[in-house]
Amino acid sequence: MELVMKDLSRQFQKTTAVDHVSYTMTQGVYGLLGVNGAGKTTLMRMLCTLLKPTSGSVTWDGSDIFRMDGAYRRLLGYLPQDFGFYPDFTVRDYLLYIASIKGLRPMNAARRTKELLGQVGLAGAEHKKMKKLSGGMKRRVGIAQALLNDPKILILDEPTAGLDPGERIRFRNLISELAENRIVLLSTHIVSDVEYIAHEILLMGEGRIRSAGTVGELLHQMPVRVWQITVPPGQAGRYLAEYAVSNVKTDADGVQLRILSQEQPAAKAAAQSATLEDLFLWHFGEKAGERHDLV
Amino acid sequence: MTWYEIKKVFSRPGSKAAVAVLAAVVAVSCYLATHIAYVNEQGDNEYGRAAVMRLRAAQKEWAGVLDTEKIRQVIEANNRVNQSPEGQAEDVRSGNIAYGRKQGFLGIRSLLNYAYAEGFRISDWYRADVLTPDMADQFYERRIGLLKDWLYDETGEAYYRYSPREKQFLVTRYETLQTPLAYDYAEGWVQLFRYAVMVIMLCMILLGYLVSGIFAGEFVQKADAVFFSSYYGRNKAIAAKLKAGAAIVTAVYFGAVCCYSAFVLWYLGADGYWLPVQAHWSAWKCFYHLTVWQKYLIIVFGGYVGCLFISLLCMWVSAAFKSRAAAVMVPIAMEFVPSFLGNLSNAAADKIIGLLPDRLLDLDVTLNLFHVYTVGHYVVGSVPLLFVLYGVLASLLVPVIYGRYRRTQAQ
Ligand SMILES: Nc1ncnc2c1ncn2[C@@H]1O[C@H](COP(=O)(O)OP(=O)(O)OP(=O)(O)O)[C@@H](O)[C@H]1O
Ligand SMILES: [Mg+2]
Repeated sequence: MELVMKDLSRQFQKTTAVDHVSYTMTQGVYGLLGVNGAGKTTLMRMLCTLLKPTSGSVTWDGSDIFRMDGAYRRLLGYLPQDFGFYPDFTVRDYLLYIASIKGLRPMNAARRTKELLGQVGLAGAEHKKMKKLSGGMKRRVGIAQALLNDPKILILDEPTAGLDPGERIRFRNLISELAENRIVLLSTHIVSDVEYIAHEILLMGEGRIRSAGTVGELLHQMPVRVWQITVPPGQAGRYLAEYAVSNVKTDADGVQLRILSQEQPAAKAAAQSATLEDLFLWHFGEKAGERHDLV
Repeated sequence: MTWYEIKKVFSRPGSKAAVAVLAAVVAVSCYLATHIAYVNEQGDNEYGRAAVMRLRAAQKEWAGVLDTEKIRQVIEANNRVNQSPEGQAEDVRSGNIAYGRKQGFLGIRSLLNYAYAEGFRISDWYRADVLTPDMADQFYERRIGLLKDWLYDETGEAYYRYSPREKQFLVTRYETLQTPLAYDYAEGWVQLFRYAVMVIMLCMILLGYLVSGIFAGEFVQKADAVFFSSYYGRNKAIAAKLKAGAAIVTAVYFGAVCCYSAFVLWYLGADGYWLPVQAHWSAWKCFYHLTVWQKYLIIVFGGYVGCLFISLLCMWVSAAFKSRAAAVMVPIAMEFVPSFLGNLSNAAADKIIGLLPDRLLDLDVTLNLFHVYTVGHYVVGSVPLLFVLYGVLASLLVPVIYGRYRRTQAQ
């Protein structure tokens, strides 16, 4: 069980959406983190054989996935970011249809459908029309759809977008359970979605994998330290202009800042242990736009 | 899989409306086809099933072999009615009464109008009224004679339109028609043929609408990513779409046509199915040797081939351009191309018009057209060519659509 990307690139007219990505995935959960436009979706579409790469290759256990055709797709479960469906189908019909094009036998399809509807918390909604579902419910049907064929390779593009906090947690647990004997690749902007469940995190920016590894490894590699300091409201601006700040909180005592810096920014700044969120900000600080939003 | 594809099509609210429209058109066609009048002794129009039965009885009196003797009787009977006081009178009611008396042999009287016309392309409703019984023996000769005059007249339109071989073909067809013909009440079939085009045309447009979403729908609804990344997404699931399309065309088409036929034949009666088509004035000039029943089969299956071909073309457009709107336009374009080409009025355009797929949808008319083609050493009428041409094209479209969709990259 090995999915290998080698020098994978994809060009759209002038933009290089994915730029020479090489990476190997074996069993486990992989979190793909990156800002908007980083190329996450494009990368995933290539892994799903939906887009042909401009150059480079993807192989599954040594065979080219495009050459494998159906044999590869049989192993695949995909939740697209822009998840479309048939609006006038009921949830059940939708899942049974997808099961049929995934090659499940009718008996098996009915059983899996029932099972999955329970797992994603939609047991009561099976006879609802797809177009009448809420955004989060549609997303859950999308997750169920991806899991129908018990895929060896599960690719989820922003699966948690639009889910409420409770559902997010349930989803995280579901993924953790599923990860046992398959590859799960999920993309997100939300660090906490992958922080605890991903075995490896891939930080993607401008089409390239900037950095990858376990959370521990990534944090260890971070060249800056994290400091916390509380300053009077008037002084906050100066720090925001000078340092990368991953968090700003205003309370009665003043403004509490979380600063990423090699050196201690001020005498009273206390060293903190870094989190994945800090790392994300460090890599994509400007792009993420958080600093400006908060001022 | 195929079942869900069909379900997908009919789950759209628009599809239900389309089926409702089709049902309405079938109902209207049934009404129009069966709304025939019987003119009673007082010169009033009667409608309804009882009137149909009276008309049938009147025409049955004249049923039988259409030999010289019968023609003579018809000329005499027609003249008798014309000489009667009602026939001579100028007022409308008398005219209607006189007409009513001719109802039984009106079909034969119309044949006389054509057979004894001054020219092949001339039709004169009053021609039958100037005939004398001694002209009866010219009836079948004149059919052939008029054709020859038309084909070989150097000043006429037909002279340069047909090659010598084509002219000979048409003349031979006329000469080999088995005569004498026979006559019987056949209003059921004739009316059925006349309005069949309404049902078939509408079937085509609505089928275009129904099938246009089968392939484009995945893109329109952004369901393409899941579709194409599934196990059967680039093979069996595409075949299922094609099967669903064919199943919908077949079921909707035959559903509509069978409902229509069954009602009309039940209402008007199916008598006369064994007659040669030329025995009715509407197909007097037809150069295909067919019985009424064979003509029915040709109209129905020709319409089916036409609908199938055009629907497949819709599906191809829908797969290739990922657009439902473009696909819906295909049947409508099929209506416009012939009239556009018709305006050009030159020989080549004329040849092409005769082979456009819309001709298959109105075979009642197509069978009467003098479209002939030279293929190698053979001369054939347009009808067999249309069947072969669109049968072959339809079967070629299937792998083309399949291949096109299979290669799609989801965007
Ligand atoms: N079909 C396309 N045609 C042209 N450019 C495209 C196309 N798809 C993606 N791009 C470009 O490729 C780049 C990467 O896009 P992609 O959708 O992969 O990013 P992403 O990481 O998924 O972003 P997001 O977090 O917003 O989903 C962007 O600059 C985008 O404009
Ligand atoms: Mg994306």
